[in-house]
Amino acid sequence: MPGFEPTHRVWQKLRANRAGLAGFALVSLYGLIALSVALGWAGQEWSLVSGERWESASSEHWFGTNQLGQDIFQRAIYSVRIAFEIGLLVALTSTLLGSVCGAISGWCADTWADDGVVFITGVLDSIPFYLFAAAVAFAFQASAWAMQIAMVATFWTTTSRLVRAEVMRLKNRDFVQSALAIGLPPHLVLLRHVLPNTGHILLAQAAMVFVAAIKTEVILSFLGLGVQDGVSWGLMLAESTQEVLVSQFNNHLAAAIPLLLLLLGFNLMIDALQDALDPRQGSA
Amino acid sequence: MAFLLRKLAHGLLLILGVTLVSFLLMVYFGPDQTYNLLGKNATAAQIQEIHQQLGYDRAFTSRYIDYLHDLFTLQLGASNSNGEKVIDLLWRSLPITLALMLPGFIIGNLLGAGLGMLAAWHRNRRLDRLISGVSATGMSISFLIIVIVLQVLLCTPQGLNLFPARGWQVTDLPSYLYYVTVPTLSLVFITLGYNTRFFRAVFVEELGREHIRTVRAFGASPAQIMGRHVLKNSLPAVLTRVLFSIPLVIVTGSLVLETFFGIPGIGKVSFDATTNGDQPVLQAVVALTAVLFVVMQTLADLAYRLADPRVA
Repeated sequence: MPGFEPTHRVWQKLRANRAGLAGFALVSLYGLIALSVALGWAGQEWSLVSGERWESASSEHWFGTNQLGQDIFQRAIYSVRIAFEIGLLVALTSTLLGSVCGAISGWCADTWADDGVVFITGVLDSIPFYLFAAAVAFAFQASAWAMQIAMVATFWTTTSRLVRAEVMRLKNRDFVQSALAIGLPPHLVLLRHVLPNTGHILLAQAAMVFVAAIKTEVILSFLGLGVQDGVSWGLMLAESTQEVLVSQFNNHLAAAIPLLLLLLGFNLMIDALQDALDPRQGSA
Repeated sequence: MAFLLRKLAHGLLLILGVTLVSFLLMVYFGPDQTYNLLGKNATAAQIQEIHQQLGYDRAFTSRYIDYLHDLFTLQLGASNSNGEKVIDLLWRSLPITLALMLPGFIIGNLLGAGLGMLAAWHRNRRLDRLISGVSATGMSISFLIIVIVLQVLLCTPQGLNLFPARGWQVTDLPSYLYYVTVPTLSLVFITLGYNTRFFRAVFVEELGREHIRTVRAFGASPAQIMGRHVLKNSLPAVLTRVLFSIPLVIVTGSLVLETFFGIPGIGKVSFDATTNGDQPVLQAVVALTAVLFVVMQTLADLAYRLADPRVA
């Protein structure tokens, strides 16, 4: 049973999963880097032209310089912050939106509110994402927020659908019915007894949205619909599509490898989380 | 019959929904097209005329109904950048996209099913761990990185230089293979991790069922078990997944691959329309793709009902 599973058993399972721990360590490391960039301790010279075009790696420029003579290491480090900014913003907002809509829709199942939410998720899921993103970018005239708006507007639907199903299931359980029977107002029952029991879904889903946001940023930036002014792994990779043709691989590697490791860390962590939190697996 | 009507009504509502979203984003709240069409030095009369033509002076509902009418009679207007009729543009580029994407889509699914089957059959043994590990890694690699690496390895003098880095001059089978190979490889690589993981999960679940144990006890061979019992029973799940991955894989794939390899399909057309703010083209692509997807979804629902009467 979700929520009834003693927390310490979840911890035990998590701790036993070595791949998951490695993933968690990797993600934490990136988190620290992002934090130190945000606090101004590292990666601040990402836009400074500090060398010649395409210098190779040296003690001064650890990963060399790009076409404009900017330090690639600084840019790669600063991009960690951008990735976390986008990932956190999109993950938190869409999880919040998805859990609120999903909870209302599941709690008021078979009413107009439920029909409305289900209809909207159905509509948003029927428009292919990158075309939707292009339409949003068009409507907002390449505003710096168009990418995030497009992601949040579509990524919440999965969370909403999962939460809706879970709330519908929990609604008929004895502890919820008893809480209602002793006269607790429905909104309090929902907030105190039902929503906390969807935590395992929200946690895993938020992590998955985080990963999706980072991967999507890369594609959108390549298509010119992503990060507008600044730097990100997506923009570095877009730059590098021209550079690799003349055997300049530094920019590509400096974006590709950190991106790969972060996504790998996240995927390992998510797998471990889902394993540990999955109520159906019992104590096997 | 009631089921049929309900599904059709649902499909129609969804079509209204997706067209409304695209109308709102691309037309109603979209940027003013007046100066795009007239240039900077328009007279007041010209502006008046173009506003009337674009419907800026009319009410919301009347504009939306007109929009629907134009969409379903395929009066999609002409491209802002070169004046070509949008319908001709789409008709010209659609076959290219299909020719480019289909081989990769099919191979990716078949290969994923094969690997998923192997992993599920050897569940929790070394082969399974290897396959699962490799597909987890595959899912962590960005689409763009795979495309760049494959292009450098196969299409440039730094690598093997066997295939063209850009373009699409297809006249016969050898030239088709020459241009389609690297994009196909990219698509297979990108989707393989996700596909393998999905197929493994489906097959693991089917293999765990009790009737499979009975079949095993009767001495059926692995091929018989897989072919006759597992594959057949997991067909609905597999078809749903394949269907729902079409917009994601084909649209995303064609956008990135066609832009990257300079192939003049729907993806490149949409990309160019996005960069140039070419509203007629972009809105046609968005609305038509979404409508097409809803139609396919509805047809699939109906097909399930025919195949399995228990589906409510």
